[in-house]
Amino acid sequence: MTGSKISKRYAKALLSLGQEDGNYAAYGENLKEFAELCTDNPEFSKVIGNPVFSVDDRKKVLNAVLAKSSFADYVKNLLQLLLDQNRIGGIEDVSANYTRLTDEISNIIRADIITARPLKDEAMGKLDAVLAKITSKTVKTNVEEDESLIGGLVVKIGDLVLDGSVRAQLEGLKESLKRGEYN
Amino acid sequence: MIRFISKKGQTFLIVGMTLLFAVALCGLAFASGGEGASEGHDQMLNLFYRILNFTLLVIILVVVVKKTSMLRFFGERREEIKEKLEALTKERQTAESRSRELEKKLEEFEIQKKEILEQFRAEGAKEKARIISEARERAAQLISQVDHTIEREIQGATERLKQEVVEMAAQRAEEIISKGIKDSDQDHLVNEFIKSVEKLH
Repeated sequence: MTGSKISKRYAKALLSLGQEDGNYAAYGENLKEFAELCTDNPEFSKVIGNPVFSVDDRKKVLNAVLAKSSFADYVKNLLQLLLDQNRIGGIEDVSANYTRLTDEISNIIRADIITARPLKDEAMGKLDAVLAKITSKTVKTNVEEDESLIGGLVVKIGDLVLDGSVRAQLEGLKESLKRGEYN
Repeated sequence: MIRFISKKGQTFLIVGMTLLFAVALCGLAFASGGEGASEGHDQMLNLFYRILNFTLLVIILVVVVKKTSMLRFFGERREEIKEKLEALTKERQTAESRSRELEKKLEEFEIQKKEILEQFRAEGAKEKARIISEARERAAQLISQVDHTIEREIQGATERLKQEVVEMAAQRAEEIISKGIKDSDQDHLVNEFIKSVEKLH
């Protein structure tokens, strides 16, 4: 909780700078890219986040990587600051918070769609439209497949969960039978 | 008759009568003799000695009796016996009275004993009735509890069986649906989901 709050502060600080110069979207992309780099290269992540090594040594490694990147200066400065504060391990949280904040600014909402079988384009279009309609926001969807749902789909928007899966219907039916509602 | 004469008079009377009786006997003996003067004289002398001896004996007896106060002794003895008799009579009366009291108390004790026994019998009967009543009540409670326990067990078993049947049915249904579901079913489910989400707005 505390780590998340600190990550949010860093994200807000960078966003305010991005809003001033109008490059907040690019900063978001840079952060996301660096977070993915850390995820894809755990050894790199371990080196720069390990306090056993001196800050100077770790900064040298980070700078060597940043030098080859096309990240904005503010982003580079933020990453170096995180390393100085021994919070570089929380880069994914910072990136996620930054994305959330930029989504709020852009009136974007993200929806996770879990489906038992691949959705057709037509159905996907209808789903985007209806979700945009109920949230009154631009919806960005992330689709995943899960065969354990048997059929149907589940949509998660923040804390809201809309479950239209066959598994949920079976569970509901089972609970109803256990309660004796169909006696 | 003797009681109306004093003791001294009595003594003289006895001595006089004795002497008169002795003289009469001597005269009779003398009159009956006659043959031989010497022989008669000896007999008379013998008689005389005998009478004298007898008279002395009587006098001695009278003196002795008088000196040793035999009469007083026997009188006192008689009084003593009389007193003892009276005391014994009183004691006997007391004992009889005591005996009557004891008999009366014994009767009272018998009555009390009967009453106590009756009371104990009544209390025993009452206690017996109470114990039987409590035992019946407790038995009824136990039977009721057992009935409730059996009912609960049956309900529990029925519920568990129902749960198991539902679980098995749901599992079987899931297997059947998983095998039988088609793309068209998925499309139908997605469309239904979209319609239901639209209704939320």
